[in-house]
Amino acid sequence: MKNRSNRIVGFVALVLFAALFTLPFLWQVSTSLKTEDQVGKSEFDLIPRAQTYRLDGSDVEIKPVERKGADQVIEVLEGPKKGTRLTVAPDSLKLRPHLEWSNYSGGFQAFPFFRMLRNTLVICVLVVLGTSLSCSLAAYGLACVPWKGRETLFWIMLATMMLPGQVTMIPLFQTFKGLGWINTILPLVVPAFCGNAFFVFMLRQFYRTIPASLMEAARIDGATDLRIWATVVLPLSKAALAVVAVFSFIGAWNDFLGPLLYLMDDDKYTLAIGLARLQGQYSSDWGRMMAMSVVMTLPLITLFFLAQRTFVEGIKLGGVKG
Amino acid sequence: MKSRFWTGIAFCSPLIFGLLAFTVLPVIASFWFSLCNYPILEPPHYVGVANYRDLARDDQFWHSIRNTFVYVLGSVPLGMAVGLGLALLLNQKVPGIKVFRTLFFLPTVVPLVANSVLWIRLLNPQQGLVNSFLRLLHVPESWMPGWLADERWAMPGLILMSLWGAGGGAVLYLAALQDVPSELFEAAELDGAGPTQRFRHVTIPLISPVLLFTGIMGLIGGFQEFARAFVMTQGGPWDSTLFYCLHLFNSAFTEFRLGYASAMAWVLFAIILVATVAVMRASTKHVQYEQ
Repeated sequence: MKNRSNRIVGFVALVLFAALFTLPFLWQVSTSLKTEDQVGKSEFDLIPRAQTYRLDGSDVEIKPVERKGADQVIEVLEGPKKGTRLTVAPDSLKLRPHLEWSNYSGGFQAFPFFRMLRNTLVICVLVVLGTSLSCSLAAYGLACVPWKGRETLFWIMLATMMLPGQVTMIPLFQTFKGLGWINTILPLVVPAFCGNAFFVFMLRQFYRTIPASLMEAARIDGATDLRIWATVVLPLSKAALAVVAVFSFIGAWNDFLGPLLYLMDDDKYTLAIGLARLQGQYSSDWGRMMAMSVVMTLPLITLFFLAQRTFVEGIKLGGVKG
Repeated sequence: MKSRFWTGIAFCSPLIFGLLAFTVLPVIASFWFSLCNYPILEPPHYVGVANYRDLARDDQFWHSIRNTFVYVLGSVPLGMAVGLGLALLLNQKVPGIKVFRTLFFLPTVVPLVANSVLWIRLLNPQQGLVNSFLRLLHVPESWMPGWLADERWAMPGLILMSLWGAGGGAVLYLAALQDVPSELFEAAELDGAGPTQRFRHVTIPLISPVLLFTGIMGLIGGFQEFARAFVMTQGGPWDSTLFYCLHLFNSAFTEFRLGYASAMAWVLFAIILVATVAVMRASTKHVQYEQ
């Protein structure tokens, strides 16, 4: 009996916490579909609604324009009298559920979303390619090729993981400026082709578990190291490479400091930097801001659901072995 | 097996180049800059430890250190506690655990800037969800926190925001909890240990390595907090959310004091190193690794 009631309490607590953690999402989506008028209200209401007024026997949507003494001037938004202004008593207005999609269409106009999406995706794809390629090559060199000095290289690499990025930020900025790379995507992309200590470490741990006999067999058949890497090691490490790809994609998608430092022109902006700028300019237009933050979040949520197993794998690799 | 030096070097050459070009040489340059007066347009000019001396006299520097410590000491332990609580709730034999786990994890997937934009709104004193929620609980209007508009509440607001991401830790703790053999709990129960004692003496020690890991990662990430404050508050109101790395960024890229900012970067490295070693030392007695 006691066990049963414990389980019910536990389950109720679980549901309550899940509701609490989900609420910001629901609220974000609901705000993105609210009219400007409703966004300004302080009562808690998750359902987007529009104000209506009973006109000639049917409820029509209206927009409040101004107060006139105790009365309210409204503009009719639909029906045969669309566009006319009426002066009515405030308590004659009603609310009904209504989705204000114009926050999305208006947001796409104010905010060159598709251009920024393209800029972001170009960087993401190059970073994913560069990181996967350079890290798996280096991991092969560290795990599958015996050579003098590889332990030293490995330990130097691990030591660099301790270093906060702020230490190298200023010299790198000066270097990229000297190379004329400012306002190009090169500073964001080229380093990805030169390995990433964390991912190399992860892949090396994985490659060490591949039986040496498999590689030896290929070598006896006359395969070169490059061929062994491509035909034996890569196919066996798909899961680990997926972790590298997913997490480097997320890193590039979310990167804020890099584009902030290196991209100057609006037409080169990524979504992260564009949304931050939009926040500064349209800070009062919240329906639109929420719509754009939904649009920026959706691709990552989709990626998460498509690659859920890879996520869990990556978190465990990062958390337990790292 | 014979050493194949050049093959190894060839496979690692992008990595070696990257370590040299993007880490080792910049580290040396950064250390040199930290000993120089370097106003972006002129070449660096050696001034010894003057930058470090100036740092010690800079009120904003101390202020940013204090703010950052408040954030780390608030968000890391609270985040771990919430994460552990969620993990314990998830570690029950009830239906739909995978769905709940996904729901708790999802906030950590939200891109940082989108998350910041969302939370500016959630923390809005008049129309935000957080205060609407407090109003539902009948908190009097005069007690309503002003969150990001109020210097006393801006930092607690950012800490609250960080707690929304506690599900990341929860997933790790859950994985560790599920590795704990149930015989251990049964044995403890037979020995007469109550739920609190089982939690303190069985659960906590067994997942302590994961707790330590998330604590240290949280600490390192917390000291490097930047984008959130840059987007949400620009360090305000009244410098109450001026994080260390925001001050560093401003010194470098709005005041163009590259030498000074480089010195700040080295002090940050020292703080992170000392804090990490201190936490590791303090935890050796309490963290139990499997034999």
